[in-house]
Amino acid sequence: MTDKHNSPDEPVDVTDPKLTKFDIVKEGLRRDGIEILHYEPAFPKPNTPEERRVERFIALCFVIAGLGALGFVVVYAFWPWHYSYGQASTMSKWYTPMLGLCLTLALGGLGIGILTWAKKLLPKEELVQDRHDGGSSEADRVIAGATVSTVLDDTGIRRRPLLRRALLFGAAPLGLAAIAPIGALIKPPGDSYYHTGFDAKKYNDGKPVRLMLKDGTELKPSMVAVGGQVTCFPSIPDGATNKHAESPTLLIHLRDDDAAETRKNAFSQYKDAQWNNFVAHSKICTHVGCPASLYEQQTNRLLCPCHQSQFQVTDNAKPVFGPATRALPQLPIDVDDEGFFYATSDYLVPVGPAFWEREA
Amino acid sequence: MAAPVRHRHRWRRRLGALARFVGALALVGGIYTAFAPGIYADEPKQNFDKLAAEGKELFDNSCVSCHGKNAEGVKGRGPSLIGVGGAAVEFQVNSGRMPMAKQEAQAERKEAVFTPEQAEALAAFIQKLGGGPEAPDKKWLADAVANADVASGGELFRVNCASCHGFATGGGALSSGKYAPSLRDVPTDQIYEAMLTGPQNMPVFADNQLSAEQKAEVIAYIEYLNNDRDPGGPFTLGRFGPSTEGLAIFLVGITTLALATLWIAGKS
Repeated sequence: MTDKHNSPDEPVDVTDPKLTKFDIVKEGLRRDGIEILHYEPAFPKPNTPEERRVERFIALCFVIAGLGALGFVVVYAFWPWHYSYGQASTMSKWYTPMLGLCLTLALGGLGIGILTWAKKLLPKEELVQDRHDGGSSEADRVIAGATVSTVLDDTGIRRRPLLRRALLFGAAPLGLAAIAPIGALIKPPGDSYYHTGFDAKKYNDGKPVRLMLKDGTELKPSMVAVGGQVTCFPSIPDGATNKHAESPTLLIHLRDDDAAETRKNAFSQYKDAQWNNFVAHSKICTHVGCPASLYEQQTNRLLCPCHQSQFQVTDNAKPVFGPATRALPQLPIDVDDEGFFYATSDYLVPVGPAFWEREA
Repeated sequence: MAAPVRHRHRWRRRLGALARFVGALALVGGIYTAFAPGIYADEPKQNFDKLAAEGKELFDNSCVSCHGKNAEGVKGRGPSLIGVGGAAVEFQVNSGRMPMAKQEAQAERKEAVFTPEQAEALAAFIQKLGGGPEAPDKKWLADAVANADVASGGELFRVNCASCHGFATGGGALSSGKYAPSLRDVPTDQIYEAMLTGPQNMPVFADNQLSAEQKAEVIAYIEYLNNDRDPGGPFTLGRFGPSTEGLAIFLVGITTLALATLWIAGKS
């Protein structure tokens, strides 16, 4: 009998009523090419004190898990959760940690219980399974190929061109319908990279665009003290919103000698960009577009907090440190008859980081 | 029989204690009102010139080597103080930044060398020399901060201050060893003076840009942030925000997980 069972070629008749359950399991494994090397119950003698100890531990884990889950519900329903301001360690400050603690107990208790059950109470067994060689047998592959080919022949798609084309027409637009929503996400930027909200012709009916604060107050020279700086926006509808996200500008009031140096250093196209001791530069870093707005009023440097680029305001805001390679574009400014700052033109070069179509 | 007697004793003792307590309170209160009458009255009008003269004496002893004999500055050592105003002097002196310990990238906050009264005298001297912004009235500032709109202050803080001082007042790095200092434990009047005068590399936020009331709002917001509890308890990580917090949880979390997997692998 034993020899017969172990021979791999002759299947055991699993309907044989004489077989035990374990025999059937063993036969099932054998048919899958799995061999049992070693199999023994974790506790050969049932009900030993050691076994009962393990049982008690697992039970305790499950009870803790249950209490944790109940605690979670209770905390969720009854713990005061309205945030209370201040240094004091109030109940409400413990709301989230308590939820976390209860959930930890619930999930942790359940997990540790189940793991311990599997490790300590299930039989110790060692199984070996042969690894399969890759690929089906030659015969299987020939059969599969013939089947597919025959099905295609049965449809007659090769000799019925009308049906073939009609199917193509019916199915292809469906693919298009799937792609279209993704394509709609891509919006061509057009020429928007070349214009900011300070473009008078595009956004203000040709009237020069004034500079304003975030709250809409239009800027006068008296509003920024020497050594001061202010973030300003084009004074047009939605000028300080994301609709004109390319427009934020830093207006800086330099000291006399720094302003003179700035004027001396100015690129030829920026000769008239400065108004008295005021200069305005784009706030968007030319590296990857962070707000470069950390202004050091003694060294006249603008810093970008993201990658530590530094720009020298007194020298056309050229980069002097860090990964940025382009100077911050300068906004040409002047003061109108009513005493308000306005941009004499849009930025002369695109603001922000480089892009493919940008000319060097 | 013993119990009622003890009760009477206890009552008498309690009444006696109450009487003594009330008496002590009255005594302390009386002494306080007798000796501190001027605390809410107008401050005695000191003679400004006398104060300035006192300040000049201090200046001649402690400041001339870097700021020059007439506060005109010494090239390569210290800037001119003409026109910086009393607010700048009180900020630098009361925060301990001046006198500087040594010439370096940035003067840092330390134990103040001069008393607030001496700082006031120095401020009077500099004010007399060249004018400039003056320190705020302490009582006005306290009232203004107490009644300020915190939400509006938060808006102003995020627009004007957060880029350097961080979203949670932790401060941050600037160029070449300079830094924006943390705003924790900075007295309100010094925050006010810093905005008004733009010490070192901080931009100036004069009254025509941020009005006195708006400055009080910003201060109220800073106080609000500083007086709240950190969710991490003692682990504020400098209040620098997501970068340090992310790094910390990454290092600690990944290390813990790696050790846990090693432990699990070792067990089975």
